[in-house]
Amino acid sequence: MAVAQTDIETLATADKPQGYWSGVGRRFLKDKVAVAAGCVAGGLILMAIFAPWVAPQDPFDGTMIRRLSPIGTEGYPLGADELGRDMLSRLIHGARLSLFMGVTPVLIAFVIGSAIGIAAGYAGGWVNSVTMRVLDVFYAFPSVLLAIAISGALGAGILNGLLSLTVVFIPPIARVAESVTTAVRKLEYIEAARASGASAFTIVRAHVLGNVLGPIFVYATSLISVSMILAAGLSFLGLGVSPPNPEWGLMLNTLRNAIYVQPWLAALPGVMIFLTSISFNMLSDGLRSAMDIKQ
Amino acid sequence: MSDAILSAHNLVKHFNAGGWGAARKVVRAVDDVSFDVAPGETLGVVGESGCGKSTTARLLTHLLPTDRGEVRFRGRVAGTEVPLKDFRRHVQMVFQDSYASLNPRMTMLDAVAFGPTVHGLDLPEARRRAGALLERVGLDPARFGPRYPHEISGGQRQRVNIARALAFDPDVIVLDEAVSALDKSVEAQVLNLLTELRRERGLTYIFISHDLNVVRHISDRVMVMYLGEVVEIGPTADLYTAPRHPYTEALLAAMPSLDPDRRTMEAPLQGDPPNPIDPPPGCRFHTRCARAFGPCPGTAPVPALVGRRHLASCHLNTVKEAAE
Repeated sequence: MAVAQTDIETLATADKPQGYWSGVGRRFLKDKVAVAAGCVAGGLILMAIFAPWVAPQDPFDGTMIRRLSPIGTEGYPLGADELGRDMLSRLIHGARLSLFMGVTPVLIAFVIGSAIGIAAGYAGGWVNSVTMRVLDVFYAFPSVLLAIAISGALGAGILNGLLSLTVVFIPPIARVAESVTTAVRKLEYIEAARASGASAFTIVRAHVLGNVLGPIFVYATSLISVSMILAAGLSFLGLGVSPPNPEWGLMLNTLRNAIYVQPWLAALPGVMIFLTSISFNMLSDGLRSAMDIKQ
Repeated sequence: MSDAILSAHNLVKHFNAGGWGAARKVVRAVDDVSFDVAPGETLGVVGESGCGKSTTARLLTHLLPTDRGEVRFRGRVAGTEVPLKDFRRHVQMVFQDSYASLNPRMTMLDAVAFGPTVHGLDLPEARRRAGALLERVGLDPARFGPRYPHEISGGQRQRVNIARALAFDPDVIVLDEAVSALDKSVEAQVLNLLTELRRERGLTYIFISHDLNVVRHISDRVMVMYLGEVVEIGPTADLYTAPRHPYTEALLAAMPSLDPDRRTMEAPLQGDPPNPIDPPPGCRFHTRCARAFGPCPGTAPVPALVGRRHLASCHLNTVKEAAE
């Protein structure tokens, strides 16, 4: 009797079962803006990887005759910088350091910040309060100021720049991780998992991670653009990358004296930073809505 | 009472409601609750919302730490004499919200298989058994095994939750409003399934609900709670036909009936239950009780035996002057 009724109930909603990630992919592909942003971001990454093959000239080779050539000069499609180096080649090579400075701190901070935030959120109580209040101390500083302070204390250099940016991004990521985990922890499926006798570690691994990493990751991708801008700022202040290495922030800095002579040329590194940050932002926005399971 | 499979002894749970030191306020969610459940029996738990039913369920299953009191499984204290991990295998729980109680990123097959893997079963074997359990609760494992919670209906999800509890091969299942959120027709199917499973596996249920009709249908004994206390507990037939506590009477009078002669003409209870932060002194029910008299506001009644396995906490049963 009961079984016969069940068949009717089950037939009503029968259709092909779908995996979670295939659904995410399908929804993402429908979002034209996100796909376009993904293409731009992917193109930038490919450009960075294959820079030596893509760039038409040596980014370090300058001639004083050509300094500050305007955009469209023969052989220098985007002009030449204040030392007469090919702007296009320097922008292409600059993608390497700029993307590296944008992605790496966020990636490291994502791992450390998630670990801290998930642990604090799952533990709850006073462990959570103490951890989060300590992080709030860092959070209270404006990120630019904190990055400059740490970087300044450690001295110039790529590695110190990376370190300072990582420290800057741990508190916000941990905060997001903590709030998402706290929300998930209160749900009944976590209670059900606790009722199974599983250890806290097993519950976090099997039930918490899958439900919190998505939102944390999306938030972290939105920080990539912030990280790039901060890294550019550090370079601009002479704290991150040092000359003659091509990096967009540093290029923006050195070209600022030429802004009255060749304003379009001086704006080019800024355009690249803008392009990268906006494409990563829109990509993460698209990911966020694609990962929303209730659509 | 040593033959009880699960028993609660003076369970107390107070929640902080703000304030420090002397000004600290507590919600007395569960206050000195004791009862026991015999093997194979179904104990129904009823009461208004906020009376401590769900907190009692979470204390029983050790999902919440008790402030005082203990839960005994087969006479041994859970958490100390019975290790918690073993206790959890014997006492399982099904929650009200079928959607929130399933991990949205886990397939139904893995949701059922998770528990046994915690207790050392390898994954392929756990999945094989999970498939058989899904089949038993009326879901085709080939069709529903690979599905996610948002892809199936509430009734189907609650069947999965029952299968998940069964996967431990438990002795006791605490059903916290497990059918309350379902449509009437689906509710009836799930109740039938629960009845079948109880017979088939010799399960003991603690069935928490606000629906008195459903509780009467499924329970052998019924426990009535009010403001964190047990006011009456007794065999279903006795309690429904001859309640010995005015609160139980009022609840039963509020029960919807299809018989026009027994239609409720006026609300048997006025207003909401008092604030559990500051419960009334004496009998907690006296502020709403139509038959409150002399001792009620001053002294709290103690549970007294009023029939076979039938206890009620009311001065009407014990103080002689009340009869006159």
